[in-house]
Amino acid sequence: MAQLPGQLLDGFIRGLVYVAIALGLTIVFGMLRLVNFSHGAFYAIGAYVGLVVAQRYGLVAGLIAAPIAVAVFAVVFDRVLLRRFYDKEPTAQILVTFGVAIVVEESLRLYFGGTTRTFPIPDSLSASVNLGFTQYPAYRLALAAGIMLLVLAVWLFIERTDYGLIVRAGVRDRTMVQLLGGNVKQASTVIFALGAALAGLVGAAASPIYSVDPGTGFSFLVPSFVVVVIGGLGSFWGAVLGGLIVGELQSVTTLVFPAASDVVIYIAMALVLLVRPSGLLGESEVIRG
Amino acid sequence: MKDARFYGLTALGLVLFPFLIHPIGGYPGLATQILIVAIGSIGFNLLLGYAGLLSYGQSMFYGVGGYMALLTISKFFPDHPNFWLAILLGVGFVTLMAVAIGALVVRLYGIYFALLTLAFAQMFFFVVFKWRDLTQGDDGLQGISAPPLSLGFTSIDLTGTFPSLDLGPFGNLSDVHYWYAFVALIMLLVLAFTRTLIRSQFGEVLGAIRENEERSTFVGFDPRRYKLAAFTIAGALTGLSGALRGLYETSIAPDALTVGTSGDFVIYTVIGGVKTLFGPLVGTGLIMYMQNVISAKTDAWRLIEGLLFVAVIVFLPGGILGSFKRKRARTILAAAVAAGPPDAPSRAAAREAAP
Amino acid sequence: MSDAILQTTGLGKRFGHFAANSDIDFSVREGELRAVIGPNGAGKTTFFNLLSGFAQPTDGEIFFKGEKITHVAGPRRVVRGIAKAFQTANIYPDETVFQNCRLAALARTQGLFSLQLFRSSQRLTDVDSLAGEALELVDLAALKDVRAGDLSHGDKKRLDIAVALATRPQILLLDEPVAGMSIEEVHKTDRLIRGLAKRMTVLIIEHDMDLIMGISDSITVLHQGKILASGTPAEIRGNSRVQEAYLGGHTEGTV
Repeated sequence: MAQLPGQLLDGFIRGLVYVAIALGLTIVFGMLRLVNFSHGAFYAIGAYVGLVVAQRYGLVAGLIAAPIAVAVFAVVFDRVLLRRFYDKEPTAQILVTFGVAIVVEESLRLYFGGTTRTFPIPDSLSASVNLGFTQYPAYRLALAAGIMLLVLAVWLFIERTDYGLIVRAGVRDRTMVQLLGGNVKQASTVIFALGAALAGLVGAAASPIYSVDPGTGFSFLVPSFVVVVIGGLGSFWGAVLGGLIVGELQSVTTLVFPAASDVVIYIAMALVLLVRPSGLLGESEVIRG
Repeated sequence: MKDARFYGLTALGLVLFPFLIHPIGGYPGLATQILIVAIGSIGFNLLLGYAGLLSYGQSMFYGVGGYMALLTISKFFPDHPNFWLAILLGVGFVTLMAVAIGALVVRLYGIYFALLTLAFAQMFFFVVFKWRDLTQGDDGLQGISAPPLSLGFTSIDLTGTFPSLDLGPFGNLSDVHYWYAFVALIMLLVLAFTRTLIRSQFGEVLGAIRENEERSTFVGFDPRRYKLAAFTIAGALTGLSGALRGLYETSIAPDALTVGTSGDFVIYTVIGGVKTLFGPLVGTGLIMYMQNVISAKTDAWRLIEGLLFVAVIVFLPGGILGSFKRKRARTILAAAVAAGPPDAPSRAAAREAAP
Repeated sequence: MSDAILQTTGLGKRFGHFAANSDIDFSVREGELRAVIGPNGAGKTTFFNLLSGFAQPTDGEIFFKGEKITHVAGPRRVVRGIAKAFQTANIYPDETVFQNCRLAALARTQGLFSLQLFRSSQRLTDVDSLAGEALELVDLAALKDVRAGDLSHGDKKRLDIAVALATRPQILLLDEPVAGMSIEEVHKTDRLIRGLAKRMTVLIIEHDMDLIMGISDSITVLHQGKILASGTPAEIRGNSRVQEAYLGGHTEGTV
């Protein structure tokens, strides 16, 4: 049980990574009513771009290049393909985004090869920090701090800017926003790119901890849906709460009942879907029989 | 198409299939594999094309069917290995699974339905993965030969082959194992069953529910029971597919239960043609052919598969066969892509109730 | 109220703090043609949704022929004999007019669920005749092979009624049956409803006052989710509180 604080911290950090990925997913759903099975691909692209750039120009360059590259990809993806599916049934959206996710995964595999890569941690952050109860890698702490700042920044964006206003209004009533002439089209692209960039940034930043391979996109996609379902599809704080819950749930279960550590999050998701599909903080108007 | 013509042509096609693919690099073993997997795709199509339900969890039925069939031989009844028993337990267990899980999932719609099926599939994956005592975990079950097929008066070792007969560019009859004949027969039965079901009273109501669930509810049908029945039948078919696969390959591993495997059924069926009888078979055949033959030539085959999948959804929602349909190709996909915002009952209720 | 075919006591539906319906004590006798009217937002459609099982009440009870059906699900209420035609014509757009009615007739014939995986419904001859009768009643038989989605708005609404009729209901709920119709279509529907009222109990939500005053046996007025008044057309017409509720006090013409 002496491991508990360390595990809790691990869970907290993993949870924050999930939060950063899930935020984009949930906001896009809330505002655009779009189910995006290719969201994991954003994470993966960010991780690879970050890796490649960082190897040549250092970590900071990697962390800048990754979200930009992903945002560009997202904008192109949106304009060329995804836009047509905004108002379609979820089935069509799931299928087309799933297809794109496969295309991305395979393209990454062809270009970078199927081997797992690890991102070298820069020397300045490779030490361990003494936290009293344990020694803890400095990089992870820096990552946690970085993500928390990001979440705050996104929150400010949504609460304090015009685009953010359109997002919040759009979550409540998209038709009304369109009728009121809000530049919904532009705002949606911005939001979509933002969510993608966020996932890409985290992909790059977290890759020293979680190694990178072409399948990374899918391996983060499914848990991020778990997060979003538990927190509530469309809810900002739901994504935050959900991410932390999922992260901690995995960590604690690893300590207490290791055999179930992988499956526990799916049990949680199933329970939420069966009992309260709108999630912990989601709206109760939900598609249910 | 008249029944007799249908069965005749289909049977003919199945007989010729392993030979026709020979000149393009195919082989009878591939033909067998294609048919086995296609049974699962047909099951999936019943859910997506005819009931309008997108399940991302079919791999649980596929995988568990395979494990149960092999375990029947290796663990449950090691002294009296019986082919039919293996199939029976595989399909039977999976059917019970489908009823239990179905009762829970059919309450949900759209993305929530898909995610819940995915959650259950993941649960089964991890259970199989971790339960080493039963399933050998990561290593999977291997080297479990299928016992001969007992037909009462005789028994047939399915690994045996037909007598030699040179067919020129189409290979040799002796390339074909009895396995193929067996699976082809099952496929014929599955196609006949599915065709009958689609045209039956049950199929008619299922289609009505898919087209307008709200209206169907208020003329007096119980949509949930219909969806549960469809889910169960689809699960059973997928379980049969898995059981056959296990017995044919003499092995099975946890990867049969992954999200990737569930995704494969989705891809095969959508490309081939949702809501068409042969679509799943065509799609499975095309993609598996690519996997096995094209993959030797280029590593990009799976990328091509992904691109094809996206292209079909965007440009050809009815799939390859859907575009040949004489009737208006209002497949679930075409409708989903062409239609406006989704109209699940509770949304409509919220609208109607608003003053 | 033992001869009431449909009755509610204290029926209410709350969404959070908002009460769409409250304290509704309602009863209608068999064979009556009862209109339910009220200004926009009065809760009329909510009331019909509660009666048909489309929504679940938060308070009160509903009785059909003396039996409590408050928590009986929608499809089962149809089986018992309560059928509904929707406010926005709700039909199967890709099926023919005839097939639309056939499906409803099939439901009436086979019940909630049938695992008939092998034989087609063609063998059930009652189904075709039931569907045909329903179409005759609404005078759409001439269009029976037309794709339902291609019908005019007025015809779609009549088809919706035919579909409800094909379930052989004892009570028919019509939600704004003439909304959006031309004068001629309104007259046609007027005659149709009068004809139906002779064979079954009809509840109708409408805004068209001429129609309502002309055909109703009695009228229930809803306002802000509660019953404001109930009585014969003449009584309602003369009721000052009803006039007040409809701003400006018209009770003639369309509100």
